[in-house]
Amino acid sequence: MSRRLTAASLGAVALGLLLAQSGFAQEAGIATREYGDFPYIGSRVAVWIAAQVHLMFAAFVLGVPMFAMVAEAIGIFGGDERYDRLAKEFTRLLLIAYSATAIWGAVLLFFLTTLYPRFWAHLSEIFEVSMWIYVGLFFLESFTLYLYYYGWDRWKKGTAKYAHWGLAILLNVWGTAVMFIADSWLSYMMSPPEVIAADPSPGVVQLWSAINNATWMPINIHRFIANIVFGGSVVAAYAAYRFLAAKSDEERAHYDWMGYVGNFIAIGALIILPFAGYYLGREIYEYNQQMGITMMGGFMSWLWIIQAFLIGVLFLAGNYYLWVGMTRIPGAERFLPYTKWMLVVLVIGVIVWATPHTMIANRAELEAMGGSHHPFLGVLGVMSAKNTAVNLMILTTFLSFLMYRRANKQPVVKWAKTGTIVQAALFTLSAVIVLFYGVYGYFVTAIVRIGFSVYQVLAVLATIITVMVLDVLMLRGAESRGAIRWGNMPARSQYALFVLVVTFTWLMGLMGFARSGIRQHWHVWEVMRDTSQWAATPALGPAAQVISACVLIFLVLIAFIFWLGGLVEKPQLVPEQPAAEASGK
Amino acid sequence: MWATNLKILGIVLGTLALYTLIANGIPQVESEVPQELSFTGEVSAAELVAAGEELYAGAGGCTACHGLGTRAPNLLIDAGGQGAIGARCGQRVEGESCKEYLYQSMTEPSAFVVEGFQPIMPDIRRTLSEVQIWAMIAYLQSLGGEVTVTVGDVATAQSAGEGETAAAGSGVTIVATTDPLELLREMQCLACHMLGDEGAQVGPPLAGVGGRLTADQIRESILDPNAVLAGGYEQFGGMMPANFGQRLTAEQLEVIVSYLGSQQ
Repeated sequence: MSRRLTAASLGAVALGLLLAQSGFAQEAGIATREYGDFPYIGSRVAVWIAAQVHLMFAAFVLGVPMFAMVAEAIGIFGGDERYDRLAKEFTRLLLIAYSATAIWGAVLLFFLTTLYPRFWAHLSEIFEVSMWIYVGLFFLESFTLYLYYYGWDRWKKGTAKYAHWGLAILLNVWGTAVMFIADSWLSYMMSPPEVIAADPSPGVVQLWSAINNATWMPINIHRFIANIVFGGSVVAAYAAYRFLAAKSDEERAHYDWMGYVGNFIAIGALIILPFAGYYLGREIYEYNQQMGITMMGGFMSWLWIIQAFLIGVLFLAGNYYLWVGMTRIPGAERFLPYTKWMLVVLVIGVIVWATPHTMIANRAELEAMGGSHHPFLGVLGVMSAKNTAVNLMILTTFLSFLMYRRANKQPVVKWAKTGTIVQAALFTLSAVIVLFYGVYGYFVTAIVRIGFSVYQVLAVLATIITVMVLDVLMLRGAESRGAIRWGNMPARSQYALFVLVVTFTWLMGLMGFARSGIRQHWHVWEVMRDTSQWAATPALGPAAQVISACVLIFLVLIAFIFWLGGLVEKPQLVPEQPAAEASGK
Repeated sequence: MWATNLKILGIVLGTLALYTLIANGIPQVESEVPQELSFTGEVSAAELVAAGEELYAGAGGCTACHGLGTRAPNLLIDAGGQGAIGARCGQRVEGESCKEYLYQSMTEPSAFVVEGFQPIMPDIRRTLSEVQIWAMIAYLQSLGGEVTVTVGDVATAQSAGEGETAAAGSGVTIVATTDPLELLREMQCLACHMLGDEGAQVGPPLAGVGGRLTADQIRESILDPNAVLAGGYEQFGGMMPANFGQRLTAEQLEVIVSYLGSQQ
């Protein structure tokens, strides 16, 4: 434990020392050089890799405590001990990953101070107080985590268990606060307060106005949800590996269930993530139209085609996992014939979404197309078609989840038939609304068309919420058609979970590049210009190579960490309880 | 178990390779850094055009809007049978030559907005120098028209550039006057706001602004234009440059605030 403590505290101590050193250097009047140089890969890529890998670990250690807290609560209040064990196993994974997060944080800090000293001096002068608070919260978070994990078996009964759950809440409070502070630094770089002086004079910037900048809260919210998605997918992949390596049916059943829970959390949170992304995008446009246009239509326009492809993979792999999972649920066979049609909707949706439309083209490309848009794809790739496609994909995924949920249940309420008809009518109605506005969008101006996307999203969201509420009420006290045969999953379903985790991680790297890249050659947008030899923002090809390298580093390290965790302690498996069997949770 | 491990490794590496290949297979567009141009002696039209083309397609950031034709007119292709921008620029505004029109489009973009488009273009002097602007004009003229940018235009721009104070790191220029009306003109305020018979009706009129806003509110509107948007002008939020805090000295700012406050 002491070794872990040492490693986990390394980042915080390094931060403290460097801050103190920075202040001393300024007082002593030591001239700060502009930039350092990192061998072979250059300063930009070195900082990029350190920041991205740190962020991946950070997202994991912030996302996992959220569902450890929820899982423990289900264990306490629902009386299902499986969830309590699951929460503990999540936390065990967290423990060593936390050290890795701190180590990569320290790497990032050392790279910034040695490779970008002038920029770091600027940032630390404005944010120094928040950095001290960050260090303090980091310590609190670390010790709360150790207390939470090592106190698990000691405080497992009665009031002590509630107090233990309180530690989970506290852990999330500290973690979220730490993330909010770090987000203020990076969002300041994107959207510094507009009254800041051109000559980098950090003294004129008020700390709170720098923290509470235009993109701070949208990024906080987006990251909060994305962390849950990411944490869920990593846990699901871990469970998939343990499933494939399981030596007993009991072990296989446990990890099958764990993989399902992780994937459910990831896909569930993924569905609402685009709305947070829309909020962030809108705030970027409101802060600075030029920045917004650069993001969506400038040199990054092709990035969104790649993003569409990746999200398409996520939808397809997520649904595939659910459909294969239905083969182990008695009663699910009645739904299986529909899956091929759902696959058709998803595939067409991905094709439409990934169709290029408003792309930057040079003279030769424009001449080859005979205009600013492709003669055929120019019609198909418009926003009306894309919004329609993505909304229908979300509806289809929700339908998959609903079928999975209802597979082994027989409702007993009197209004079950009416309820099902209402649910079907709601699905149909929202699909019709989405299609109607999708087609109508072709006949109106762009500004009107953009407004239609709100109606489409509202129709889908309203359907998801209403149908879910109806379903919960309808399945109260439902009879079981048979217990889920946990562990009876073909291996290919588990490989889908690996595709999911790689895609989620890659997507995270891509979006990180988008967010950071729209600043272009500015350390701080229109305040501090990047005058280094690495100032140009690379094209997507070279960026993809860095992203892939980051994903590979992260996955190799996390696999090693999980292997280490397995050496320390074997998880206790708790047999499934009859109550849970019936509910199919 | 080794077979399983290899399968997992294959899936991970295969997925990564697929995404990397796709990203490398699409058109590669890099965001370049605008390099300051400096011409000496007899710069040729071809040199100016080449420098302008590089800026237009790269660091100038023009293609973000003009490369599409939806946010702003596509300058590289024909529009309404008039040809590319070099052919049509002389016919846009009566009495303005192609060169004048293009210069005005970049430095006072709201003075003339092509029908069907919104006035979203920023004053290009926020990011490019005068020499870079003339190089860009030469390139645009070459697209179907005659290059009339002269050595004199460039030399004047270069000498003017030497007399201006570039705000550190921002590329914006600072003027020395403290005459409020001159400042309003220099800062391009009248490109969007009406004052008397002068200006354009894109943003709220400046006539009577002293009766509508307090001095503090006027100051905030200049320094942080998106903090509070005037009723009826919400759709133009984000359009007004937010860098007047960089471009004006404290004295100039107060002169403008005081002048506008007196416009009852």
